[in-house]
Amino acid sequence: MTAVISTFEVCRYFGDDQETMVKAVDRVSIAIERGEFTAIVGPSGSGKTTLLHLLGGLDNPTSGSVELSGTNIADMSGATLSDFRRDHIGFIFQAYNLIPVFSAEENIEYIMLLQGVDASERKRRVADMLQQIGLEGLGNRRPNKLSGGQQQRVAIARAMVSRPQIILADEPTANLDSKNGIALLDLMKELNQQSKMTFVFSTHDEKIMSRASRLIHMHDGEIELDELR
Amino acid sequence: MLTIKLAFRNLFRNTRRTILTVMLIALSLTALIAVDGVMRGMLTLLVENVTGTIGGDAQIHRVGYRENLDVDLFMENAAEIERTLQRDTSLKSYSPRVMSGAMISSSYNVAAGLLYGIDAERERSTSKVERAVLRGEYLAGGDTELLIGHSLAELLEVDLGDRIVLTLSETITGELAQALFRISGILDFGVRELDDNFVFINIASARKTLAMTDQQTHEFVLTFLNPEDAENPEHGIFQQFNNTEIEALSWLDLNKEISFIIEIMAYSSLMIGAILFLLASLGVINSIFMSIYERIYEFGVIKAIGTRPSEIVRLILWEALLLALISCVIGMLLGFAVGSWTAANGIGLGEIEFSGIAMDNNILGEFHISQFTTFPFFAVLLTLAAALYPARFAAKIVPSEALQRSL
Repeated sequence: MTAVISTFEVCRYFGDDQETMVKAVDRVSIAIERGEFTAIVGPSGSGKTTLLHLLGGLDNPTSGSVELSGTNIADMSGATLSDFRRDHIGFIFQAYNLIPVFSAEENIEYIMLLQGVDASERKRRVADMLQQIGLEGLGNRRPNKLSGGQQQRVAIARAMVSRPQIILADEPTANLDSKNGIALLDLMKELNQQSKMTFVFSTHDEKIMSRASRLIHMHDGEIELDELR
Repeated sequence: MLTIKLAFRNLFRNTRRTILTVMLIALSLTALIAVDGVMRGMLTLLVENVTGTIGGDAQIHRVGYRENLDVDLFMENAAEIERTLQRDTSLKSYSPRVMSGAMISSSYNVAAGLLYGIDAERERSTSKVERAVLRGEYLAGGDTELLIGHSLAELLEVDLGDRIVLTLSETITGELAQALFRISGILDFGVRELDDNFVFINIASARKTLAMTDQQTHEFVLTFLNPEDAENPEHGIFQQFNNTEIEALSWLDLNKEISFIIEIMAYSSLMIGAILFLLASLGVINSIFMSIYERIYEFGVIKAIGTRPSEIVRLILWEALLLALISCVIGMLLGFAVGSWTAANGIGLGEIEFSGIAMDNNILGEFHISQFTTFPFFAVLLTLAAALYPARFAAKIVPSEALQRSL
């Protein structure tokens, strides 16, 4: 198997003073294989979100490297990094993922506009994605006219429609009730199996983490346990 | 297209703030259009008063005459000059004059003043003398007719029909000469200098009193069909009548201080515009910053998914451009309404004298194409310039910080 993304001894420290320095991520080395459905789990403050941000190039590591398909994204910045994220990484956040003045369709379409995909192809892919996430007929609704679960589905569609190599989801079910949370994870799992797209998500919810095929347990910024299920 | 749609919808997320910002820019533009209209009206009035009272659009004299009004510095060839002026199709009118300082005496008092000998017929279409007749009659060509300013008449304690004796020096010989006149009209120019000091008689009588021939003249006053010709030093009149003997000067050259005031007034719109739009720009910067701070999480998200910093700048600039365009449309409509009102009703000044020039009319606002092209263009440009700083701020938002800060 090939690693889609890997880190080597990656660290992210906050603060300069040795006594007050927070080691959010400390010497973490992981490799995520293509098609994995991996959960990064741990209590609040364990470094899950910081690790996801490092994996997604949203933050620069204090030391160490983050490689996506052989490219060290820790060395990138500005427009190059933006383009790399746009073309290779999909993101789903806890909430408020969507642009509130855009409809669901437009939210999904937006990233393809950034990629320069032509209009007819954009329309086709948006329709496909809406069908895959079960929101046909709701494409013209704005986020405030969709439920929390529906909004997260649209966020999944937006993350997938650009055809990235990996999708990073930071506690995507945190703002959903358990029923909707499990339904969302089931949808992500289904899309993972259908498209063989790599998913890495963080959670501290036991029911959610049970869906993952690999669990990376974090505690105080370090990997405590890395288990395949 | 999606970016423009996003920018447009973003504008109306906080409708109240957008309306306030739009009104700030629009009212600045309205104020500028209105002020510029009034300034232009005031300039027109000032120029009309400068050129329309007795000065004309341009004057021809013997070189050096203007410096000390030396009666000996007259032009010898009046008929030849007149023939040239008659051939010039750009002229509306011209009128010859002879002038001299004089002692003006009545039975009761005496005063120093300035005598103008004018061609009554030609002067009708060249200056305001006929229209300034307050009482009595305008000159009809009689040898003893005299028009006198109302305040000079009061000083001399004279009225219509009363006798006036002018004492002056003849040209060339310098011999003292006296002539008796009867007041045929009392003048009111609304200009203190004219009403206090000037008397007008027929040019033939003036020449006779000054011992001048029909061909000798101190001044030709000219008016152009297109008054702007007076501001063109390349115009034929100025080319033909400027040599070592005689000089043709425009009203701008003859009234240096007025021309300076006009120049200052022309810049005043620029200065007022700069102040108004500087203040409006600060409002725009504040408004866009508030809008960015409200959306900081959203900027974190759209940057995270791959929006380039330059695309964020473009989005903010589109928002600013749309804001400016909406503002300009409203500003121009309001500006047109206010401008129309001032053009129709004017701004009443009463009767005032401005730098020796009578301004006894309403200032009527004037429209100019620049008010609806240049001003809105600069309003848009300055709004975009004001948006650059917040746009750069938004472009530099670090996604990881924005995503954590707002949740």
